[in-house]
Amino acid sequence: MNAKLTHESAGASAGKGRKVSNETFITLFMIAVLVLVFAAAGLVVPNFFLPQNMINILTNNWFIVIVGIGVTFLLVTGNFDMSVGGVIALAGVLSAYFSQGANVSQNPLANGLGLPYGLAVILALICAMGIGGINAFFIARLKVPSIIITLGTMMLARGIAQVVTQGAQRNTSLPSVFGVIGTIAIPSTSIKVSVIIMVVLVIAAVIFEKKTVPGRRTYLIGANSQAAWLSGVKVTKHLASLYILSALLAGITGILLASEFKAGVSSRATGYEFDALVVALLGGVSINGGRGSVLGMFVGAVILSVVTTASTGLLLSPDWQFILKGAVTFFAILAQRYALERRKV
Amino acid sequence: MNNTAQQPSRAELDRSRARRSTIKKYYIYVVLLLIVAVFSVMKLDQVPLFGRGSFLSRDSIINLLRTAAPIMTLSGAFTLLMISGYIDLSVGSAMSLNAVVFAFMVLNGFSFLPALLLTLLLGVVLGAINGFLVMRLRITPVIATLVTLLLFKGVALLIVPDGTSAVKSTAEQTMPGWINNYARQDVLLGLPAAFFVALLVIGILVVVQRKTILGKYAAAIGGNRTAAELSGINAVKIVWLLYIIVGVCAALAGVARASYMSLGDPLSGDGMELACIIAVLLGGTAFSGGEGSVAKTMIGALIIMTVTTGLMTVIPAYWQTLAVGTVLLAAVVLNHLLVREKA
Repeated sequence: MNAKLTHESAGASAGKGRKVSNETFITLFMIAVLVLVFAAAGLVVPNFFLPQNMINILTNNWFIVIVGIGVTFLLVTGNFDMSVGGVIALAGVLSAYFSQGANVSQNPLANGLGLPYGLAVILALICAMGIGGINAFFIARLKVPSIIITLGTMMLARGIAQVVTQGAQRNTSLPSVFGVIGTIAIPSTSIKVSVIIMVVLVIAAVIFEKKTVPGRRTYLIGANSQAAWLSGVKVTKHLASLYILSALLAGITGILLASEFKAGVSSRATGYEFDALVVALLGGVSINGGRGSVLGMFVGAVILSVVTTASTGLLLSPDWQFILKGAVTFFAILAQRYALERRKV
Repeated sequence: MNNTAQQPSRAELDRSRARRSTIKKYYIYVVLLLIVAVFSVMKLDQVPLFGRGSFLSRDSIINLLRTAAPIMTLSGAFTLLMISGYIDLSVGSAMSLNAVVFAFMVLNGFSFLPALLLTLLLGVVLGAINGFLVMRLRITPVIATLVTLLLFKGVALLIVPDGTSAVKSTAEQTMPGWINNYARQDVLLGLPAAFFVALLVIGILVVVQRKTILGKYAAAIGGNRTAAELSGINAVKIVWLLYIIVGVCAALAGVARASYMSLGDPLSGDGMELACIIAVLLGGTAFSGGEGSVAKTMIGALIIMTVTTGLMTVIPAYWQTLAVGTVLLAAVVLNHLLVREKA
């Protein structure tokens, strides 16, 4: 019965006799937008259709896509996670600090705890999940608005990262294994392990979202958390797990990025929380809850990638990126709403 | 029967509620006094910013109040908006943009008053944009103001010439020296004009919140928007007006900041939205709107300024983010413990 209920809620406003749910409809709609944007970019930007450029567009944003998975699930439940950028920095810095050699230098930034890299990674991920736990406690338990708390924990996470690195970065006396996972690529291609991790995580997230009971419950909570609670869904627990999951994904991203740059930098991923939110909104996630998909978010990430690549190709100054992101989000929200309203008629 | 059983517990409940409301009324003053006391005891002699003597010296207090002008102006208006249950995350970007535009005009030969008036006009426009997105296009306030956060910041960055970090004197143009006067020159008691303008604005906002129909309507909308609209309040118009008021205050804050730093820094307002949220929450305004006080937000704003400037003098700058984040979470906990229950 539960399954039937969630299934109906997903397609409730889709009208009778239609086979495509609103989620799929919006994803298809955004794919159409993507094709248009892509064609337009190809017409104005020289060398846009080169194969290498296509691969870059699909793989460039792997870090935003990975954190976007957690942010998307939370948005579906009607909650924000603005702490992901801070958590990325924290996990990266801690993975460096834990694995740096102990007592090797006079410079305090070169001395770490001297743990094996694997252990360092696990501990860094646990710390990242700790930030997620704080989010979970305040938001799921105390029912404090998520935007306020996650902005606070963003500062908390980045603040710890800054204290550990004294406002700079840790990049000396790292074990050689530190820089491996973020830099190795599939032989004779430019595709990195990080990209493969992204693909695996996206596939897993799509299966979780469409085919599992907890995945569907996420939508039920977003559509009507009161109804979800009454029908026996443990809303608090579910929301808490999602926040911890989101922090874990951000932590993985942080470790991969730190490895790629062979440094734990405290200012890494500044503003990524906005980017994750932007790609989720581009992909049709509704902040009012109950609608959105990871696949849509991925399409959103590719759209953002096309737009930023095109603006670089047109030699626009990097200062344009804020305006582009803002404008693209704004129009995406309006276009999606317009399309959905037309559909109901 | 059920009633008699509940009787004693209800009396107890009333007592605890009365105690709670007393704590709620006065705790913020105690917090401010405690923080000031702590920093006064610390040795600050060696610190260049404070120069001579203790935290409570005339110089350091004047310095604190001078730098507090932007956040006090802005968080006052922010309170009204939060009372009505809405939020504006773009205030920091709006303030940066106003600062950049003001500095740009001064650099290009405008005198003070026209530059100020045009910046205020820009503030009205920025506020109206937010109002339009939230109230006319009905985009969720958080998302709408995040979009404008990106847009305002982008425009501010574009105005700043390539290769420099701020609008300031160049080889061709020099920033007139008088840009500093507004936020630094002694007008009365060592305090500059910007501070008194901030006081005036806060005075007006306190009166607006307590004594005018706008304040009552804001609280009514925050309490229950549907009920407010059914009783004849034009919520769209009122909230739109509140966004414009926030925009104007962002303009004033931007001018004060540009004048204080004598340049237009496109990142100077970063984090302002968080500072405002902290001030408002410390001041006891409910998350969901419906109640709050501009006057108490001012105490909240002073607490943040005391903590940040006070901390800067005793610990390295890279602790700042962690400190502010911790203060924010502490403010949320205090607010949760004391305000959440609606009587």
